[in-house]
Amino acid sequence: MNQHVKNVTPEATDLSRRSFLVGTAATGLVLGYAGVPGIGEALAAAPANFEPSVWYAIAPDGLVTVTCGKADMGQHIASTMAQIVCEELGAKWSDMRVNLASNDPKFNDPVLGAQITGGSWSTMMNFDAMSRAGAAGRMALTEGAAASMGVPAGELTVRDSMIVHAKSKKQMSFADVVKSGKATKTFTADELKAIKLKTPDQYTMIGVSVPQIDIPSKTNGTAKYGMDVMIPGMAYGAVVTPPVRYGATVKSVDYSDAKKVPGFIKAVTLDDKTQTTTGWVVAVANTYANAKKAAAALKVSYDGGPNAKLSSQSLLDEAKRLQKLDDSGQFFVKDGDPAAALGTAAKVLEAEYTTSINIHAPMEPMNATAEFKGDILHIYSGNQFATRSGAIAAGAAGIDPKFVVMHQMWLGGGFGRRLDADMMVPAVQAAKAVGKPVKVIYTRENDMTMDFSRPLTYQKVKAGVDGDGKLVALSHDVVSAWPTQRWGIPDFLSPSVDKKGPLDAFTVNGSDFFYTVPNHNVRAIKNEMAHNATPSGQLRSVAPGWTFWAVESMIDEIAAATGKDPAQFRISLLDGAGKNDGGAQRLRNTLLAAMGLAGYGTKKLPKGEGMGVACVSSQERATASWTACVAHVAVAPSGEVTVKKLTVATDVGTQVHPDNIRAQVEGAALWGLSLAMYEKATLKDGGIEQTNFDGYRPLRMSQMPEVAVAVIANGEKATGVGEPAVTVVAPAIGNAIFNASGARVRALPITAEAVKGAMKA
Amino acid sequence: MPTLTINGRSMSVDAANDTPLLWAIREQLQMTGTKFGCGAGLCGACTVHVNGEAVRSCQTMVGDVAGKKITTIEGLSAKGDHPLQKAWIAEQVPQCGYCQSGQIMQAASLLAKNSNPTKEEVVAHMDGNLCRCMTYSRIQKAIMRAATEMRTASAAGNERRPT
Ligand code: FES
Ligand code: FES
Repeated sequence: MNQHVKNVTPEATDLSRRSFLVGTAATGLVLGYAGVPGIGEALAAAPANFEPSVWYAIAPDGLVTVTCGKADMGQHIASTMAQIVCEELGAKWSDMRVNLASNDPKFNDPVLGAQITGGSWSTMMNFDAMSRAGAAGRMALTEGAAASMGVPAGELTVRDSMIVHAKSKKQMSFADVVKSGKATKTFTADELKAIKLKTPDQYTMIGVSVPQIDIPSKTNGTAKYGMDVMIPGMAYGAVVTPPVRYGATVKSVDYSDAKKVPGFIKAVTLDDKTQTTTGWVVAVANTYANAKKAAAALKVSYDGGPNAKLSSQSLLDEAKRLQKLDDSGQFFVKDGDPAAALGTAAKVLEAEYTTSINIHAPMEPMNATAEFKGDILHIYSGNQFATRSGAIAAGAAGIDPKFVVMHQMWLGGGFGRRLDADMMVPAVQAAKAVGKPVKVIYTRENDMTMDFSRPLTYQKVKAGVDGDGKLVALSHDVVSAWPTQRWGIPDFLSPSVDKKGPLDAFTVNGSDFFYTVPNHNVRAIKNEMAHNATPSGQLRSVAPGWTFWAVESMIDEIAAATGKDPAQFRISLLDGAGKNDGGAQRLRNTLLAAMGLAGYGTKKLPKGEGMGVACVSSQERATASWTACVAHVAVAPSGEVTVKKLTVATDVGTQVHPDNIRAQVEGAALWGLSLAMYEKATLKDGGIEQTNFDGYRPLRMSQMPEVAVAVIANGEKATGVGEPAVTVVAPAIGNAIFNASGARVRALPITAEAVKGAMKA
Repeated sequence: MPTLTINGRSMSVDAANDTPLLWAIREQLQMTGTKFGCGAGLCGACTVHVNGEAVRSCQTMVGDVAGKKITTIEGLSAKGDHPLQKAWIAEQVPQCGYCQSGQIMQAASLLAKNSNPTKEEVVAHMDGNLCRCMTYSRIQKAIMRAATEMRTASAAGNERRPT
């Protein structure tokens, strides 16, 4: 029986019962959680079938291989995990290697208890566990070395994979200790917790921009992505997707022309009980080129289903209708009495903000390879959510999820798209139907039209200002599809303040900002029509990508209406009162840093140019990275906007890898720019109209402005950096456009027509 | 069965003449460093060299390149040490890395002709290559670094040359 299946037991996910085991196996030192079934065998196993099965292993040659339970989609998280282990272990960086974990529950996130990568959570949630794993290994190696050398362990120092006894000048390398078989210490959960970790002043690795382990393989073509999986004897699948995004069914398939394609094997109409896909057919052939030809030759007729007439406009109209109803949605925030405060306010501002449907479009189109071997279904695919995706693959196969082994690959971009498992359904059902492994590759057209997109959003914000120009009330309604509710996992939903049942906080996060506003409510309203017609997903930064568009634009509108400088107005709202204590001050400081770096208020700008600011606490209130942006734009009389410079400051607490943080923040800021200015998808007759990079146009090199990044590391806990900067850019640009031209834009993406239309005549 | 000359080796591939070179290289000859991104000439992920020119292999048919010299990322240098590859590591360019084979192949065709490009020339040459991770500024820096290295190397070579 497959060892992996034995490991799938409920106990295996209960961390509290585990003890951390350090012991030497025949081939090396394995470190991880004891009590995980299978570890005993791993330790006892012969070299030939030994698999490093927990966080890291040290081979007799001294190489340390860290297994990363997180999807690596370019954030270099595997390398980061190795760096955290390396710091406490005392290994030499050039001895570190990385490995990508399977879906074995023992690789579950130590905090989340599942395998999921998102929310910019990885570093902050794994820092402690990886540090303790590294420290435990160092202690075990040191004790082993002490025994071998016959000296007290306390007199040994560890550095660069060497354990040194200064007095006697004796030394042993990690490799020597592993070969000696003397590292046998076991740690209980309590002992692990009691390990004294280094303090930041003792760090020699954390905070250093070590070369990322994965980068060389990404310059010579050797990094293996899901797309690159080759299984002997495999066939290829090309999918035929319906013109309607969701809800269509296949009425009939005419195979006659497909049968004439050389190499054609079979066409399979998916029977997807997981309801991840609707109305899909997969054409299987001996090569991908032939599978594509066969797919093109299939004549499929559809029943378009209930969403076949819907358009972006219908989704927006429905959102507006729902927002007007008093009993729509649930409250995410309910402080004070905004209705009363708005009633007595000296001035009330009201505005609607929208964002379009957006497509993830990672450079690597979706793909998956499925292989049935005995009882086991093997899935090879780069995926961000092995725990759920494995269950979907199992559902597509009609087997128990414990029989699914997910083989993680490097991800050719994730951005939230690979939290979903749709690509596995055709691979599994095709493999089952043809009795061979099948690799399914989406065309870019499949990938774009069947994306789990960022939903179209509609937000209505009302703000009340008192006679002194003080913001006293803010009422904020957010209407959207609910991407996370779609998962059907109650743990990912949040209780509503008005106890009207759980809500999808991933549609409203960010709206619970750190400004002090005595009367504040936020309503999360699910747009059921959009939810059904455009099944939505988590797109890099998720809700803060739209909530801060509304909040940070409205704050600017209030500042303008009360004659205040928008940056100073924000600073006055970030007073740190009550629940905002701590966060508000950090956000204020970050805003000041961005202003300083950009020269905000110190430069006289030519006519038609302006600067705008925004500051955000993305992602969630509890996991915020404090981020601020100053955008510098030029607006032509035609409404054409040129973004000249983005200055982004971000407070990340502790920097594990400064250079990577800069890369992530810059990438995120440019994503923010791309979403603000260039990316727009539309729904027509139930289908996404944009099919490739001619219709859907992410930022290109020629559109890149100057980007300045300031990273603030003040010694607080490390926070996420992959997403927050996405959310701060659009409002900063919108506010800069207002500053430059007096035109207030409220719809993303921003178009020249909208700017021109909003200019005062 | 067309015969292709790839990275200096002659290989026959069981594919119809109208098969995109991309799929023959990747899936049949299993040199997977060349990537599929759009299949429509819009992203550059599939860039290879044909007789030294950067072409989109998704838009190039197998039948049209028989007998021509094809170079993929695997064949750009013997040990992954083309000045561009070294510069890509020095500048830590790749994020997900998926677009980078195409970026490097596209850049290599520029530097082969012009080892002292201006920023504008770089942008014009590279604008067809999308990077969804938005590593553009590092790509620019790495190209400039590699260009400098190539100029220095050839200057050193010139000095040694007997006059
Ligand atoms: S795959 Fe060839 S240009 Fe995009
Ligand atoms: S590095 Fe990810 S697409 Fe370029």
